[in-house]
Parts: sequence; C-alpha cells; structure tokens
Amino acid sequence: MDDPASTERKFFGIKLPPKVVWTKRTKADLRTGLLFLSPWLIGFLLFTLYPMVVSFYYSFTIYHSKRTPDWVGLQNYKDLLTDEKFWISLNNTMYMVAIAVPLGLLASFLCALLLNLKVRGQAFYRVVYFLPSIVPTVAGTILFLWLLNPQVGLVNTLLAQIGIQGPNWMADPNWSKPALILLGMWGMGGTIIIYLSGLQDVPVSLIEAAELDGANWFQRLWHITIPMVSPITLFNLITGMIGMFQYFAQAYIVGGGDSLGRPLNSTLFYSVYLYQNAFLFLKMGYASAMAWILFVIILIFTLLLLKVSDRFTYYAG
Amino acid sequence: MNKKFFRIFSLLLVASMLLAACGSPAASGDNVLRVWIQWGDNPQQIQELFDKYTAETGIKVEVTAPIGDDKILPALTGSNPPDVLVLSGGDLAKSFYKEGLVDELSGAIKTGNIDMGDMFEAPLSQCMQNDLILCLPWGTDAYALFWNKDLFEAAGLDPETPPATMEELVDFAEKLTVVDSNGKIQQIGFIPDHSWSHTDLYVRNFGGFWYSDDGSQLTANSQPMIDALTWQQQFYTEYGVENIQSFASGFGEYGSPDAPFYAGKVAMMVEGEWQTGPNFIPALKPELNYGVAPFPPPADHPERAGTIVNQGTAVVIPSAAKDKEASAKLLAWMMSPAIVAEEFCFNANLPTSRKAAEDPCFKELGTKFQVFVDLMSSPNAYAVLTTPLSFELNDALAAAEEKILYTGADPKTELDAVQANFEAKFIELNK
Repeated sequence: MDDPASTERKFFGIKLPPKVVWTKRTKADLRTGLLFLSPWLIGFLLFTLYPMVVSFYYSFTIYHSKRTPDWVGLQNYKDLLTDEKFWISLNNTMYMVAIAVPLGLLASFLCALLLNLKVRGQAFYRVVYFLPSIVPTVAGTILFLWLLNPQVGLVNTLLAQIGIQGPNWMADPNWSKPALILLGMWGMGGTIIIYLSGLQDVPVSLIEAAELDGANWFQRLWHITIPMVSPITLFNLITGMIGMFQYFAQAYIVGGGDSLGRPLNSTLFYSVYLYQNAFLFLKMGYASAMAWILFVIILIFTLLLLKVSDRFTYYAG
Repeated sequence: MNKKFFRIFSLLLVASMLLAACGSPAASGDNVLRVWIQWGDNPQQIQELFDKYTAETGIKVEVTAPIGDDKILPALTGSNPPDVLVLSGGDLAKSFYKEGLVDELSGAIKTGNIDMGDMFEAPLSQCMQNDLILCLPWGTDAYALFWNKDLFEAAGLDPETPPATMEELVDFAEKLTVVDSNGKIQQIGFIPDHSWSHTDLYVRNFGGFWYSDDGSQLTANSQPMIDALTWQQQFYTEYGVENIQSFASGFGEYGSPDAPFYAGKVAMMVEGEWQTGPNFIPALKPELNYGVAPFPPPADHPERAGTIVNQGTAVVIPSAAKDKEASAKLLAWMMSPAIVAEEFCFNANLPTSRKAAEDPCFKELGTKFQVFVDLMSSPNAYAVLTTPLSFELNDALAAAEEKILYTGADPKTELDAVQANFEAKFIELNK
C-alpha cells in the first residue's frame, strides 16, 4: 500500500507532480485552460492526429482515392521491401542525411564563429550571411539552377577561369546531389543564427581563465566553446536530420513535375517518391505505408541521437 | 460578469473559426458552372471564350486555368468538384474512371447531342476503353520534323529536301553536326529526345507501341520498342553522352528566342504544331528559314509515311458534379466545331473536330501549320495509348530510356525489366 504520508508519485521512475485535488476552482481553471488551448487542440485533432490515425489504417489497405479501401494486411509493407525505387529513394535520402547535415553543421558553426568576431562591419556580415535564408525556396532553387548551368552558369565559368572543366551538375547523376547540398548550405542562415546566440552564451570568465592559463585559440575552442554549444549542436543536428529525411521542395522544383528524380533517379528522395505514389500513381495506401516507415526511421534516429548525446552534450547549470 | 463575457466570446471565436474552416470555398451561386483546365497559358482568353456561353445561355461560367495537379484529386474526391474538368491527357481520365471519380460519357453525349462522327478517330481513341467513352478530346497535338534550311545549305544538303527515311535522317544528322578542334560540339544535327521524349513517334514508325493496339497487352519489350530505343541510342553513342549533355545544357529556354533550333544550334528537331503558330517561331524568330515535314518512316517500311501520334486534352465530367445535365450541355457547347475552331486557332493547336479543321482560320495559320492539319487525316494517325496504369508505366519507361540513352545500357535488358515489373500489374488491371 502507498505510504499516505508520502505525496510523491512515480511513473516508471519519473517523478510526477502531486495529485490534484479537484475543487470547483480547479475544474473551472481546467475549462478555461482548455478553452484557451482549443484552437490548437482542435487543429491538432483534426489536422494532425486524425490524418495520422487514418493514414495508419490506409497503410494496410489498397486505397486510391474514393473507393472503399481494401484491407490487404502487410502487403504494402512487403511490396515496399522488394520495390527497387523505394530502396533507391531511401539511399538518396540517407546520402543527404549522412553528408549534407554534418557538412551543414560544420559550415554554419564556422560561419557563426567568424560572425562572432568583433570586427568592423560585423552587423553587415551577419545580414549578408542570413539573407539567403529569407529567399523563398522556389526562387533560391531556380537561381541555383542558373548558377550551376554547365555552359553559361557562373560557377562553371569561374571554374573555367582557373582551368577546371566544371561538371554537368544537375544533368549528371554523380553531381546532382552535391549540387543540392551546395544549395542547402547557401541557405543555412537560420542555423548560423542559432549557433551565434549559443556562442554569445559561452561565459567570458571561462575563456579568460583559460587564456590566463596559457590556452591558445584552438585549445579554447576545443575545450570550452565546442562543449558549451554542444546542446545547440544537438538541437541543430536533430532538426537538420528530420528536415533532411523529409527533403522535398528543392528536388521537386529541380524535377519540374514531369521528370521527378532525374537524372537517373539520383534526386529521387524518399518524400519525392512518396508524393509520386500518392498523387501521380494514386496509390494512397502504398504512400501511407511509406509515410509510416519514414516516421519510424526518423523516430529511431532521433531516439538514438538523444541516447548517445549524453556523451557529447554538456548542459551548463 | 467578465468571466461570462469571456466564455461567450471565446466560444463564439472557436465556433466562427470552425464555421470558416467548414464553409465551402468560394461559395458559388446557383447559376454558375465551374470549369477547371489543367493547362492554360492564357487564362484570360479562355475565360473570354466561356463568357460567350454566358452570353448565349445566361449561365455564368467560372474558369480556373491552369489548375495544379495537387488540387484536382482532392476536388474530385470531395463534394464540390468542378462541373467540367479539362485534363491534359487521356491517361488521367482512365485512372480517375477506375476510381469512380469521373463519369462514362455516353449519357452526356446523348443529352448534349454531340456528333461523334465529326471527331478524328486518333485523338478520340485516347478516351476509349473498349466501348466506354471516358473523356472527349478537345484539342490535340502532333509532332513532325522541323529542319533549318540555312544549316542544310551550309552542310551541302538540299535545303528544300528533308530526310526521306529514318536512316537518311541519321546520315543528315552526321553531316549537320559541327565539332571544334577540342572535340566539343558546336552544332548538332539531331537530338532524338529534344525537347522531351518522342519514343511514341519512333516506336510507331517501327511498327508497334508499348501496348497492343487494343490496349489489352503490355508490349514494353517488343521488337519495335527495342528498335526505337536502339535507333535513338546511336546518336548518343556517336557523339558521346557527356559531350551532348554539356552542349545541351547551354541551350536557351524553351519558347525563348534563344531556343536551340531558333539559334541554329540544332539543325533538325521533332516538334509540335504550335511551333508554327503566332506564339512561337513567327513571334520569337520570324527570320528563321525552316521547313516542316512529316517525320520519315524507316526505309524498309515506306507505307508508314505520315505517322503521327496525337496527344491532347481530355474533357471529363466529375462523378460528383452537381448538375449533370448542365455539365453535359456545357460539354456539348465546348465540342461544337465553331468553339473548337476558335479556341485552337487562337492557340495554334490541332482541332479534334473534322468540321472545325475546315475552318479558314486554320489556313490562315500558314502552310507549315497545314502540314499538321493534313496529318490528322493520315491513315497512320495514332494516339498515345493509355491505361489506368499509364502514369506508373510511363515513369518506368522514362527511367529506362534515360538509362539506355545516357548510360549506354542495353535496350533489350532494360525493356525486359520494365515488362517483367509491370506484366503482373497489367494482368491484375485487366481482370
């Protein structure tokens, strides 16, 4: 039996708040609270929870659009495992997660470091680096298609000046993903800003102390700055990874509707193939199954990251 | 008091938000018909065309063009679809019919008293599934060979004589290709998949298609398919994929004065009738010295001369449309020869009605356009065959074509893989 003297309640070892005594007042408060929350709650129930539950059901059916879904059990999931394009799309997506996310983090951290230097025109540089991230995705992507045009684009023209024959970028299956990564790194202003705010939270006292002890610039960076911003790195890593798993808009624009995934399926990302199944091939059940697999993949990766993050994340205070 | 006010206020707020969310978008009055058109370069002109229907009948017509692909499916599955929907091809009409989203049109044809005998068979065949009429072709496109007479002359060819066979075309292409001392292409004779794939035209010239003619069998790896892709592959083998792609990447935008054929970078191309119309060559490059002729057949099959493959718009009536009679009448009006002539003369596209094709306005588009109008009556006029599986199959065929042309993959192996992948689905579909 519970010890009546102890008000502490636990759920799987997690401390719970003390039990609420339901007075008229608390009930009224709850109502008011829910009322305040209701726009969000209703939105969540109608536009997030309901579609999720229904798509879970659809993922076990053959469902195209209007006809009643036919229950087929795990067939969609089994078909996916033998679907070559499914694996290609997953591979392409993993490539982006494995390369674009860490590369983006590193680059934005370095940029943030530079933008944190107290130099003349600091505000100007910050604006310049942030500016690309407010350019709409469509405009930015189309701009990059021009910059990376193999014949008349600025990038290859500059490369030619120094004697390098630039690749065919978006037309070459080996270069299409690197081109998209470049495009992504151009718009990393948001991540830079988050890092910048993190850098400003690094205690000056620690750095000064290290300086007095004779630590050089790199040692201060390695032993103080990087550990102190590690929670920010974790945050950027997780959001960046989730975003990359759902990579869609840029690839969709590059593919231009008719030729999604070109060249040679090298830009066929997971979400692009999902979209193709749902809205072009009208295979809603199949697409729902894909969505749930993606959800599980993202969940596993996020949990893994959180689990291993204990080792490399330092929460001051 | 305050508390009560707050409660009522917030309840009202939530209620009004819900109402706003549930209300029908753009609530239309009783006498308004809605037409959605999947393509549409000139929405204002299309609206003005339909305003004539309003003038004749008093029924207002609201046109939305172009409408995004992602809007069509939700509208058809919902309760408030457009009254008439114009799709860019028959394949979608068939997929939608299979899902019960659009009507079979026999009833509407009767109600609207539409003269089916007036329609060219080829474009109509795109809408047929056995005896079912799932859509009506409003306007259509066909492709022919365009050649640059000045470049022919410079290459020592007779500027007035286009290649007479597919073999001769390959020959001419070689003569018309200019490569500089670094091996880089400066001018190319012919790119088989410029500005997009024309496998449908080539495979018909080789005597087949990727479906059997009655649409009952999948023939993705038939000999004509292999021939059509092998024929295309030779152009890439000859000049090198990377060389062609690098050259092609510098091409000006489609529909701009810098487009490669206009700029003299490509000497021969397969293109559609609209190129000869007022929005394209006459407007963008009036001085271009070019000719248009039917695409040539292979040397050993002269009887296949004048082959075209129509691909064009398909008008459907959504199953959930509210007033089917009103939809049918509007459809009949759209299909009337005078309206077909007006709409497709304006856009320089091919009419699907024989009577409309007689309209003098098409003659006014010039002798080059007339080449296409005449081809509509060719005994070798076909349409792109479609099935509800078309979208998925076409995607797979496009991927195979990419692999064959750009990586030198073996045509038979790739097409066998597509056939194997889709055969079961196709049998399932025809059950």
